[in-house]
Amino acid sequence: MTDPRDRQYTNGEITVFWIPSKCIHATTCFRELIEVFNPGRRPWVNMEEAPTRRIIEVVNKCPTQALVWKYNKDLTEEERKALREVDHRLEENPKTLSGTNAPTSIRIMKDGPIFVEGNFKIIGAENQELKPTIMTSFCRCGSSRNMPYCDGTHRKIDFTDQSTENGE
Amino acid sequence: MELTEKLISQTNPLKMENEKALFQVITGGPLKVTGPFQITGSDGEIIEKEEPVYLCRCGKSSNKPFCNGAHKRIGFSE
Ligand code: SF4
Ligand code: FES
Ligand code: FES
Repeated sequence: MTDPRDRQYTNGEITVFWIPSKCIHATTCFRELIEVFNPGRRPWVNMEEAPTRRIIEVVNKCPTQALVWKYNKDLTEEERKALREVDHRLEENPKTLSGTNAPTSIRIMKDGPIFVEGNFKIIGAENQELKPTIMTSFCRCGSSRNMPYCDGTHRKIDFTDQSTENGE
Repeated sequence: MELTEKLISQTNPLKMENEKALFQVITGGPLKVTGPFQITGSDGEIIEKEEPVYLCRCGKSSNKPFCNGAHKRIGFSE
């Protein structure tokens, strides 16, 4: 593995690789299959919670190849070794640990959502408190079916940061 | 909870927890942000802005990522 933050998870049959540097937090994986991809848990990928077929289906939907998979029989020697040495503590996002006073980071993703990390609070449209996760992304394109969060629809509608005058 | 106390916590949740950033989803409108935060724009630049900021959710602002009132014109709803 090249990046020490990269992770791999297995159910004995297939191995799923997670490459955080490629993850744009489109949240597709956990909108689709929260049983397996749950950012609120450690480890955040739990391979026992769904059939292999279903996991493959969702991994294939990751828009950036931050998630990829392989049959275990196809693993390289290096990947096998890494599987034995996983240390899930490193998965913790330090900005999310409570007690930090770092300001909350708000990242405007190009042609995509608002991605938020840190210690923060969300009040929904009905004045109810919503639960933040380590990957909270708010929809910016106006078309998500899971408001106020991004569900990936921005890609389908080709949302862009360019201001179009045909909004008139 | 006392009614007055409840009203205060509902109308101004910052009174209770002032070290956390707060995101308020405004029905049919933007996302209001207060508290300690840092905004990075889509080109990676840090955007200096006094709180509160209103981030466009409707997709139609011509001043993205901020709201410019366009949501009203287009009748944005969730
Ligand atoms: S689906 Fe989205 S959140 Fe999940 S790994 Fe891929 S980019 Fe990251
Ligand atoms: S920004 Fe992703 S669905 Fe709207
Ligand atoms: S939410 Fe106000 S302009 Fe988009």
